[in-house]
Amino acid sequence: MNVKVLGPGCANCKATVTLIEQVAKAKGLDVTIEKVEELRDIIAYGVMATPAVVIDGEVVHVGGRPSQAKVEQLLGA
Amino acid sequence: MDPAASTSPVPTPLPEARAYCPTTTFGKTHREGALLVDVREADEVAALAFDAPDVVHLPLSSFERRFAELPRDRELVLACAVGVRSLKATYYLMYQGYANVANLSGGIQRWAAKGFPVRGSLEPTFAAGGCCGGSVAAEPSAAVQGCGCDDGACGCEGGGCDC
Repeated sequence: MNVKVLGPGCANCKATVTLIEQVAKAKGLDVTIEKVEELRDIIAYGVMATPAVVIDGEVVHVGGRPSQAKVEQLLGA
Repeated sequence: MDPAASTSPVPTPLPEARAYCPTTTFGKTHREGALLVDVREADEVAALAFDAPDVVHLPLSSFERRFAELPRDRELVLACAVGVRSLKATYYLMYQGYANVANLSGGIQRWAAKGFPVRGSLEPTFAAGGCCGGSVAAEPSAAVQGCGCDDGACGCEGGGCDC
């Protein structure tokens, strides 16, 4: 599973990456996490509100740090 | 393992946004019919506003919801305080298929500091030439009119560029 976190590198973006890493590790999921920090690359996904999460090319979350329950749901954990 | 499972579709890359200096923006908005789109919030606009023939206020906080109000058949120059939020809005319009958009580099701070017309109170840090917090020059000095910048990203034309 490929997960991209879209965001300019703010605290919420970093926290989102950390949370996804923690959930993936705890659940034993094979997840590749990438950070997309360039504004132009972020908006190419049609996203203005960050952080946003893209899973296998699909935008699944926008506009804030997701809860742990939301991340577990997104990862199918 | 299915190769498709390990790959991730990448969206079509957006081209680099066009950047205008205040001089070029003045020419576009005052002489060539471009629409200036101010994406600052209402309180910022109330304190200091662009004095241009045609300005639309569309705050970034409601930009995604309201961007379709903007015309597609004329040039749009996006602006904010320093050019960061408006760059975001510029790219968003490009993503939405707007072909003729540009960003005012440096925003209203650079615009005002160069002596281009504004309405409202200026901060002391860039109030040079202004008086008593009132409006500043209605026209820029001749020295900054026109633009001779050969920086392709600027998009400037003419002589005397400040970019």
